[in-house]
Amino acid sequence: MANYIEEISKLQISHRISLLKERMLSEPRFLSLEQALLITQCYKENENLPRILRRAKSLSLALNKIEIRIDPLELIVGNRTPGVRAGVVSPEAGISWIDREIETLHERPQDQFNVRKEDIEEFRKTILPYWKGKSLEDAVKDRLGAEISAIGKVVKINQTDHAQGHICPNTQKWLAIGPAGLKKEAEEKLKMASDDKKVFYESVIIVLSAAQDFMRRYSKLAKKMLVEVSDGRLRENLIEIERICAKLADNPPETFREAVQSLWFLFVILQMESNASSFSPGRADQYLYPYFKRDIESGKLDLSGALEIIEALWLKFNQIVYLRNSNSAKYFAGFPIGFNIACGGQTQDGRDASNELSFLFLKAQEHLLLPQPNLSARLFKGSSSEFVDQCSRVIGMGSGMPQIFNDESIIPALINQGISKEDATNYAIVGCVELTTHGNNLGWSDAAMFNLVKVLELTLNNGICLQTGVQMGLQTGYLTDYKSYEDLEEAYKKQLDHFIDRMIAVCDAVDRMHAEFLPTPFLSSVIDDCLEKGIDVTAGGAHYNLSGIQAIQVANIADSLAVIKKLVYDEGTLKAEELLKALQTNYEGSEELRQYLINKVPKYGNDVAWVDNIGAKWIEYFAEKLKDYRNARGGPYHTGLYTVSAHIPMGHNVGASPDGRLSRDPLADGGMSAMYGRDRNGPTALLKSVSRINSMYGSNGTLLNMKFLPDFFKTEEGIKKFSSLLMTFVDLRINHVQFNVVRREDLLKAKQKPEQYRGLTVRVAGYTAYFTELASDLQDEIIERTSYGDI
Amino acid sequence: MYGNIIDIKKFAIHDGPGIRSTVFLKGCPLSCIWCHNPEGIDSKINLWYFEKKCIGCHRCVAACKNSALSIGSASPHIVIDREKCINEGNCVEACPTAALCFDGKRVSQREVIDVLLEDKPFYDKSGGGITISGGDPLFQHEFALGILMECKKHSIHTAIETCMYAKKEIFEKFFDYVDLFIVDLKVFNSANHKKYTGVENELIKSNFEFLASKKENILVRIPLVPGITATKENIGEIASFVYEVNNKIPIELMNYNPLGENKYRLMGKANELLKGIKPLPEPELDALYQIISDKGVKIAREKKVKQ
Ligand code: SF4
Ligand code: SF4
Repeated sequence: MANYIEEISKLQISHRISLLKERMLSEPRFLSLEQALLITQCYKENENLPRILRRAKSLSLALNKIEIRIDPLELIVGNRTPGVRAGVVSPEAGISWIDREIETLHERPQDQFNVRKEDIEEFRKTILPYWKGKSLEDAVKDRLGAEISAIGKVVKINQTDHAQGHICPNTQKWLAIGPAGLKKEAEEKLKMASDDKKVFYESVIIVLSAAQDFMRRYSKLAKKMLVEVSDGRLRENLIEIERICAKLADNPPETFREAVQSLWFLFVILQMESNASSFSPGRADQYLYPYFKRDIESGKLDLSGALEIIEALWLKFNQIVYLRNSNSAKYFAGFPIGFNIACGGQTQDGRDASNELSFLFLKAQEHLLLPQPNLSARLFKGSSSEFVDQCSRVIGMGSGMPQIFNDESIIPALINQGISKEDATNYAIVGCVELTTHGNNLGWSDAAMFNLVKVLELTLNNGICLQTGVQMGLQTGYLTDYKSYEDLEEAYKKQLDHFIDRMIAVCDAVDRMHAEFLPTPFLSSVIDDCLEKGIDVTAGGAHYNLSGIQAIQVANIADSLAVIKKLVYDEGTLKAEELLKALQTNYEGSEELRQYLINKVPKYGNDVAWVDNIGAKWIEYFAEKLKDYRNARGGPYHTGLYTVSAHIPMGHNVGASPDGRLSRDPLADGGMSAMYGRDRNGPTALLKSVSRINSMYGSNGTLLNMKFLPDFFKTEEGIKKFSSLLMTFVDLRINHVQFNVVRREDLLKAKQKPEQYRGLTVRVAGYTAYFTELASDLQDEIIERTSYGDI
Repeated sequence: MYGNIIDIKKFAIHDGPGIRSTVFLKGCPLSCIWCHNPEGIDSKINLWYFEKKCIGCHRCVAACKNSALSIGSASPHIVIDREKCINEGNCVEACPTAALCFDGKRVSQREVIDVLLEDKPFYDKSGGGITISGGDPLFQHEFALGILMECKKHSIHTAIETCMYAKKEIFEKFFDYVDLFIVDLKVFNSANHKKYTGVENELIKSNFEFLASKKENILVRIPLVPGITATKENIGEIASFVYEVNNKIPIELMNYNPLGENKYRLMGKANELLKGIKPLPEPELDALYQIISDKGVKIAREKKVKQ
């Protein structure tokens, strides 16, 4: 083992990769309407066909018509637009917001895109009028809009204007038999299918044929380009592209490069079909390994050649970005698209699964330091110290990756959701930090975010919103009415139950509408059981059908209730009237009280058991309550503990809270983190606190942010100490942690002189973004987060 | 048993192997003019004022029964009359922002041990443990020793960081309960030692020889203060001395830490001497380490990560 680790550590980035990276980053981002126009055309021509067939035909048309491009330097080809990092519009999912925002896309605070003037006209003339009232977004608004806004300050309902993402397809199967093999399977099934299922299989066959056409088009383009290219090396590369793409259309890949090219085609086509946030390659170091090993053993490939192919793929992951509306961009800043790769972890028989590819993936991250892929490392008790140290080293470089996931807590948490041990052991990550099985799950991990802090506000104020005075919740009384802390807890439960009920009803309805509006035959061909059952993935065809709800935010709940419990009820030193009035007036004239609450009552994140346990208790209550429900596809609801960057807009909805937080101020960040600056006992105490929240209740995914300064990683001893911190994290059974490693001065400078820091990436929450592309308040907030290791 | 501590710092990564918790005890027999933990010198607990945290609510002034606090002009908001203050803490209790706080606290051995045990999982994974520092651990020696004994019962690796200025009999009591001795040699010339630390260093030197004759795990640290300890002569003399005593004992140089200056301000004192002193630049540090290795003494220096 030591041999290849040493060798990999010395590999340099190739000139080709540096050049391609530079070209990619300097290309401006544009809105692209090409596919939207093709979809519109196809829908117009096929008005009478069932939705799924129209979807299949539209995708087929796009795969055959969309303009394609090859850079003769590229080892891996394919994109859904000729330009890189373009914003793609999906009219079937929702475009009303584009109508509202198209003029401001280039200047909005977050995730800007250039828009060509003629595109604005085309959009208004051709696309918008046709889709009025026909998209998922419009239908959701029409059927559910009133309820969604009535509960909006408590529950943020997601998935209302785009197709389902956060999915890890069965890439292994795709590599094994390719589109041709899958098509054959569908054709066999079609022969035996009952009438109601025929249209599903027909749709699958249409899209798979189109996928083959798409690959052939790249082969032909490469051939055509040979006429103009004279450089010997470039010609050689084009000839190889021509060969590989033609081969993949009809046959499965055999070499490592072929397999990686095949993988990339899969993800481009998935994005063309769904234009959704996050399709994850998952454990690519495992399923690509046989291809890699064969080539290495036959001498066809060496480690540096393999690394170059991996880095070529890494660049590709950065060429597809996700266009969100400006509100959603606030919640998920930095257009994360979430190509999440999980390396390391364990094999089915509990051995260390890390291999040459795991180390090469880490090396690629070290070389490129780009936001994608969202690189994750799975650790467990048996992870080799070499692998852990390598993770520490790469974390120390400051790109926020790899983020760390913990097999010891995640596998049991997934099993607890009814997932088989085998599938749980093979878990992958989708989106930012959401957990999934491989290739057989529609996890719907972002069904909704539930604001526990807002519900506490309503509980303290008789169901009346502190910000608007509107009666939003039940009339359970005021803080002053509750005789004991237990009375308060009972009222809180009632309010929670009430909003959970209302939330689930909406989630179910949205879920059903996806099956109605956005069936996805191509995706269904690579999710287990869909072809078997003849049911589209959106209609419940997958083997597992979960839905995830995020409970937000444990730190503010623990801190707020700790204040009330200790001062109002246990010690009686603070009158309920006084606290209630302070909250109602947003601490106007009560700054001393507010300071006292912040500084003199212990806070979550400092290893103070009784405070942490308050947080743990309410997460447990919420997660257990969700078990009462089944989703529209027949699967369970479960809980996630992450906000990504939603703690800012969600905090905006919450009035003053008893933890001393002012109305509209952000909640604690991440999900599991302490409120900023209130974890004062260092990282070990924070980890101990977080470990008190039962990881079983974070089976949809949890998020913990920690920030270290780079000094920590400058010495071998520092790396070792950091690794042992990681391994203690494993023992503490916390699901996830990620690290920002960056100097404060760097961030301040980057804010002032963005042009000099174009490449600086930071972890926003569950993903990494370019710091200079974040809105200014988000930048400030990253600067504010506590940092360790600076003395 | 009770003692006065400054604080317990978790995730201490520069006080011995692995991840550690370090207890800073109050009280030190030396008073080095560059001391970066000046609150450690006095064994008593004193009032601190963080002007930055003060919101000017003046609750403290009302709370003080000894008229020790008054409202300053513009800034600082609060003026402490240290003659009148008896350090009993009514103002600390009243202050909502913790702008007024003590530079330490009186705690029982049990309380200290409970906090130290909290991070045991981290010590175990990292080969870390606990360190008693200060001040000086030999000053409140019974208190320190009790903590060390208890930690050994829990199989926790222990270290102390000491200037060795104590009676030999007291120092010897620690020998069986400490796994690593981190010992300070500051200034070799005894007259200079007295000038800068307040005491001569014969006792320190003989204690060091005594320790080296009995125990193995010793690390010598030299705090670097430009112009005082960080001179070629001083480093050379200390290195020769260590070489004669036992050439297996390594020496580590502790670069100057500018945080100390701020702490003087909190105590309402000024340390003109420290104003503007900067940590030594890397090449000068290299040169001093070179002197040590030239004398045949091992150096203890963290290895840089190759980039
Ligand atoms: S510690 Fe006591 S005497 Fe000293 S200033 Fe505070 S209240 Fe007054
Ligand atoms: S009580 Fe605290 S915050 Fe108020 S004036 Fe005194 S020191 Fe300042």
